[in-house]
Amino acid sequence: MLLAILLTLVVGPPLVAWLARFGRLNAAWGAGAVTLAAAYALWPALQGAMAGETQLQRIAWLSAQGLDLHFRLDGLGLLFVLLILGIGLLVILYARYYLTSRDSMGRFYAYLLLFMGAMLGVVLSENLIQLLIFWELTSLASFLLISYWQGRSDARNGARMALAITGAGGLALLGGFLLLGEMAGSYELSVVLASGESIRAHPLYTPMLVLILLGVFTKSAQFPFHFWLPNAMAAPTPVSAYLHSATMVKAGVFLLARLFPALSGTPEWSWLVGGAGLVTLLVGAVVALFQHDLKGLLAYSTISHLGLITLLFGIGTPLAAVAGVFHIINHATFKASLFMAAGIIDHECGSRDMRYINGLWKYMPHTAILAIIASAAMAGVPLLNGFLSKEMFFAEAVGAATQLRLGWLLPAAVTLAGIFAVAYSLRFIHDVFWNGEPIGLDRTPHEPPRWMKVPVELLVILCLAVGIFPSYVVEPLLRVAASGVLQGPMPSFSLALWHGLSPAMWMSVIALVGGISLYIARAPLFEIYARLAERPGMYRRAHHLLERLYLWAGAVTRLSTPERLPHMALWVLLFAMTLALTGALQAGAELQGGRTLLPMDLLGVVTTLVLALAAIATVLLYRQRLVALTLLGAVGLVVSLIFVRFSAPDLALTQLSVEVVSIVLLLLALYFLPQQESRATSPWVVRDLLIALLAGIGMALLTFAVLSREGQSISGFFLEQALPGGGGANVVNVILVDFRGFDTLGEITVLALAALGIYGMLDGIKLQGPEADSDGRRWDPDLYPPVVATLSRLLLPLALLVSMFILMRGHQLPGGGFIAGLITAVALVMQYLANGVAWTQARLPRNHHWLITLGLSLATATGLGSLLFAHPFLTSTFQHLHWPLVGDFELASAMLFDLGVYLVVVGATLLILVNIGLMHRESHTPLTDAEEEV
Amino acid sequence: MDLTLTSFAPAMPEMFLLGMLSLVLVVDLFLTERTRHITYILSLLSLAGTFWLVLDGYPRLPELAFHGSYINDPMAALLKLFMLLAVMVVLVYSKEYIKQRDMYKGEFYLLVLFATLGMLVLASAHTLLTVYMGLELLSLSMYAMVALRRDNVDASEAAMKYFVLGAMASAMLLYGMSLVYGATGTLDFALMGEAAAKLPTNDVTMLFGIIFMLVGVAFKLGAVPFHMWVPDVYHGAPTAVTLFISSAPKLAAFAMLMRIFVDGLGELHQQWQGILIVMALLSFGLGNLVAIAQTNLKRMLAYSGISHIGFLLLGVLSGTSEGYAASLYYAITYVVMSLGGFGMILLLSRAGFEADKLDDLKGLNDRSPWFALMMMMLMFSMAGVPPFLGFWAKLAVIQAAVGVGLVWLAIAAVVFSVVGAFYYLRIIKLMYFDKPESDAPIESSADLRILLSANSLAVVGLGLFPSSLLAICSASIG
Repeated sequence: MLLAILLTLVVGPPLVAWLARFGRLNAAWGAGAVTLAAAYALWPALQGAMAGETQLQRIAWLSAQGLDLHFRLDGLGLLFVLLILGIGLLVILYARYYLTSRDSMGRFYAYLLLFMGAMLGVVLSENLIQLLIFWELTSLASFLLISYWQGRSDARNGARMALAITGAGGLALLGGFLLLGEMAGSYELSVVLASGESIRAHPLYTPMLVLILLGVFTKSAQFPFHFWLPNAMAAPTPVSAYLHSATMVKAGVFLLARLFPALSGTPEWSWLVGGAGLVTLLVGAVVALFQHDLKGLLAYSTISHLGLITLLFGIGTPLAAVAGVFHIINHATFKASLFMAAGIIDHECGSRDMRYINGLWKYMPHTAILAIIASAAMAGVPLLNGFLSKEMFFAEAVGAATQLRLGWLLPAAVTLAGIFAVAYSLRFIHDVFWNGEPIGLDRTPHEPPRWMKVPVELLVILCLAVGIFPSYVVEPLLRVAASGVLQGPMPSFSLALWHGLSPAMWMSVIALVGGISLYIARAPLFEIYARLAERPGMYRRAHHLLERLYLWAGAVTRLSTPERLPHMALWVLLFAMTLALTGALQAGAELQGGRTLLPMDLLGVVTTLVLALAAIATVLLYRQRLVALTLLGAVGLVVSLIFVRFSAPDLALTQLSVEVVSIVLLLLALYFLPQQESRATSPWVVRDLLIALLAGIGMALLTFAVLSREGQSISGFFLEQALPGGGGANVVNVILVDFRGFDTLGEITVLALAALGIYGMLDGIKLQGPEADSDGRRWDPDLYPPVVATLSRLLLPLALLVSMFILMRGHQLPGGGFIAGLITAVALVMQYLANGVAWTQARLPRNHHWLITLGLSLATATGLGSLLFAHPFLTSTFQHLHWPLVGDFELASAMLFDLGVYLVVVGATLLILVNIGLMHRESHTPLTDAEEEV
Repeated sequence: MDLTLTSFAPAMPEMFLLGMLSLVLVVDLFLTERTRHITYILSLLSLAGTFWLVLDGYPRLPELAFHGSYINDPMAALLKLFMLLAVMVVLVYSKEYIKQRDMYKGEFYLLVLFATLGMLVLASAHTLLTVYMGLELLSLSMYAMVALRRDNVDASEAAMKYFVLGAMASAMLLYGMSLVYGATGTLDFALMGEAAAKLPTNDVTMLFGIIFMLVGVAFKLGAVPFHMWVPDVYHGAPTAVTLFISSAPKLAAFAMLMRIFVDGLGELHQQWQGILIVMALLSFGLGNLVAIAQTNLKRMLAYSGISHIGFLLLGVLSGTSEGYAASLYYAITYVVMSLGGFGMILLLSRAGFEADKLDDLKGLNDRSPWFALMMMMLMFSMAGVPPFLGFWAKLAVIQAAVGVGLVWLAIAAVVFSVVGAFYYLRIIKLMYFDKPESDAPIESSADLRILLSANSLAVVGLGLFPSSLLAICSASIG
């Protein structure tokens, strides 16, 4: 089985495309040969299936996923293989004459073989997922075939619509299959078919059924998904004959038949499948009558007949299923021959419009006879195959009606559809072959080439043979196929022409008589329909829906996609808050933990209040930048007070000096910004305020919740180890320079790099600073008031001394390299600020890179030093010395390291601040020069 | 502390890359525009060498280094191999493009290499600290890459948005990490699960920790509702950078998700599953719907990427090893497809012209039938049409969701992939049925053409034989 599929799917298309290069007809011969070869490869298996065996073939492919190539051939598969290969062969022969020399034969036959292979895959699959893959491949191949004449816009649109509808249906089918596989515990058909009981009892039966039926209905063009099929008629006629009569649209009903034992027998099945089938049957039959396009008529009639088959499976009795299978065979034969006949007419007349092609009997009697027999079969005239299955169908409709309230409606509706079927069949015969003379054709019609008619002849002979000698011609195949569908005992049935005066017989008579009368009285109906048809059809509506989808997607886009950064940030915050809130509410944990709270004291309350006030004031006054900055400084100061309150003098010192440096930095940057923020108020200020409040409160509550719980602290270890292990009483400093020395080394490296980066970016930049304040007053020309200058010069040695003190004592008492470095930097920056850059640069080195280099080298060298003593990098040691006068003094290698930290901090801070300061001078120089000249 | 060289062996590839990176950094200083190809070749060599080292050290069992901060297990190795491959492909694809746009500088290559190092670290992270380090190395490099074209308004705006929002997300992630550390007392994934399992289920600290970390991870993945940066950044960034951002970093984000929430907090699966379900649903829902309305190909692919992330989450949230393997598989397949999709934009772009609008694809079939075919296969694969690669990935994650009883979610995923198929089909329609707007020939270098073809064909090849990659993914999760 694999071989046949490989032949048609993989080997065939390239081979045919290649053959076409040596002459266009070679492609046709090649395609025929490939089809015959596939048939030959399948022959032994087919014989087995005919004998009633179910044959399985497994080839390892995706074993890890429980997915092997797994094929299955039983009666149902056999029937479809015969249809696919048999009608395929006829279509290949037919297309060889149909296609003109302008069409690329190679492409056509390659696509056709691709489709044939995919279709074989569908009907031969044992595994559902594998079936789905081939299913989607048929959609793709049909897309290629329908759009074969790419130059025509109707072909492109039709192909697109067919692909969109059937492809989407296929994905729904995937969902259904996944569910089905879960229910049955396997994707193997054998298992699925055997576990019908448990599947029908499963709570997810209905969603699964709906998903699978979506796939089936889209593929088989059932109402309301039928509209793609008429549009797909833009395909070359051989394609229509093949895909839209015998194979692709039958894939849907094939699946219904395939899964019949597993899914049928529930009310849901009956209503969904039967309902869709009935509506499709009626709608298709009625609309078909009013089509002027020959192929349009056939398309709608196909829709109607597919509805008939679906309805039969929906009725759900075994006999109905047999009738369904029988009608699949019959419909394939007569509809394929009708499509081919329509193709011949189109080919010879250059038009398919029944308003213009009339009276062809005179021009092509042979074709006319064939078409008449085939359409009589379509109408259900006795002695033809269509009659037999239609009789069975009528009988089943009557049988099902007895079990329903208002059941008589079903046979009535079915008979109505039968009347219309007779009417449109009659129209196909009368309107085309008689009814006056052809109107406005650009050529004189004549019989087609001999061999173009052969496929039609063969099919028509089959129609007759089945219709006259059913029990010899078709019964064995039908029995095998039906047993493949039912997977169980066969109901008794007899294929005979005469069953007595049964209700079905009367319905047939009514349909025939009614249909003929309807056709005779058709003129007023056509007028009514023409008026109705002006309203947008399904196709138009689908387009409309598409437009709506675009609009809708656009609306969703606008709603869901903030375009401005603040909105985006807002979204992130809001969603995070929502998540957190939902989580907190769901968990329902206590806000306050078990830890006893510290008593409130005056200092704590006051500092907290000041902090809050300063923070609020900063927000309120943020438009006056200088004021806001000052307030921000106050916030920092209070924070350092809080550190003091909680016995963290080191942190307090660091915070204090960092605060000073950062405020200076901000002041320097402020110079280049407008003095006041613009006055424009955002309309969203209240919203933003609310969100800020919410976020703040949430954060505060979270902090409270965390802090009020007992936690394991790692401070105990450091408190114990600092003095004996690191030789220092100041735990913070020991952690910095000893326990976490490696981190500190990394940090000062980052600091150094940051300083260098800022230096690199500022170097050479010229910014124009404002020359006057917001009220138009010019800046004070006296840039460096003498009082400040003198005082700051006096302060310098003092500040340096303090910083040295702090550096030296750092290991034992609050202090250390980082703080000392900041103090030194502040002291030096003060000189720049108070005395001017020029004055200071004359006395201090312009370049601070060397300080940074020295510091980093020192710190690294200290670390490396320990390697000399066979200790790991950065192991520290300490020694107590007794100095006269000073007393006991400890020397620790960590202090050298700290010195390195100190140097880097000084260098980096100066480098940054001085270079920003230099930018000021650049922007000021023209002004001061002018002043001096005055 | 064991400081011998063998104890660093699991991190050998990363150390090699760092060394090579420093070399490129220095060498590039001495190069001029004419000799810049040395940087290009050196970068490729660095990546190839790292690739070889990863392959050479492919572990059978997890190996730890740096006191358990670093792990080299099969998942890490597999992810690294694909990350490195993807980055190499990015470099080849983007060479012509950045040359034409005055970005052919050392910075581009260095930032790519730095970001790659960050990704490798992320893939191997075994403590929260390592995760954060790798993440920031990656993110900071990416912010800078988006801003590489400083004279371009769109790019600068995108970089600004990306940076500010990214910083916010990083802050939340870090906050979450600190909370989790506070609750469990450890940063080490090996100990975290055990410690977390001892906590009461409604422990506030842990809960908020998980939520904030999820927010951070979701942002990096680009999952709805933390997705808003994705379209702007994909659109605004130079396409070469978009190509990069949309490919390998997705693997890194997946690694981060797996490391934190499966390695670390796998025991608390019940607590994070709900949020992931919501995110997955929103992602493939919104991503697919909104993609329909896009007229810009980069934006469309951005939204499609968002929806793919939703599918990827399906596997992870199922909480089974099959689910994790499925997601791993999905992540890898997505990267392969995304490389192809953005590579096509690079192929069609030329100096002074960005082929990033859907209309630029019109009539591609007339201009180059071969690449129209390649693009069609990529689109089919993204839509999840069998038998292309994307189908198997979708199948695997949906199966994983069904396997743990999340049937409704699986159905929703299928429904939205139907919606998604729609806009991929539109591209095929544009390429095959519409008239080209310009008939300018496609000018691009041979290496781009060949690699792009190979990339697209891989979508078919891997689609026809999905078992090998899938088996490797399953084995990696173990």
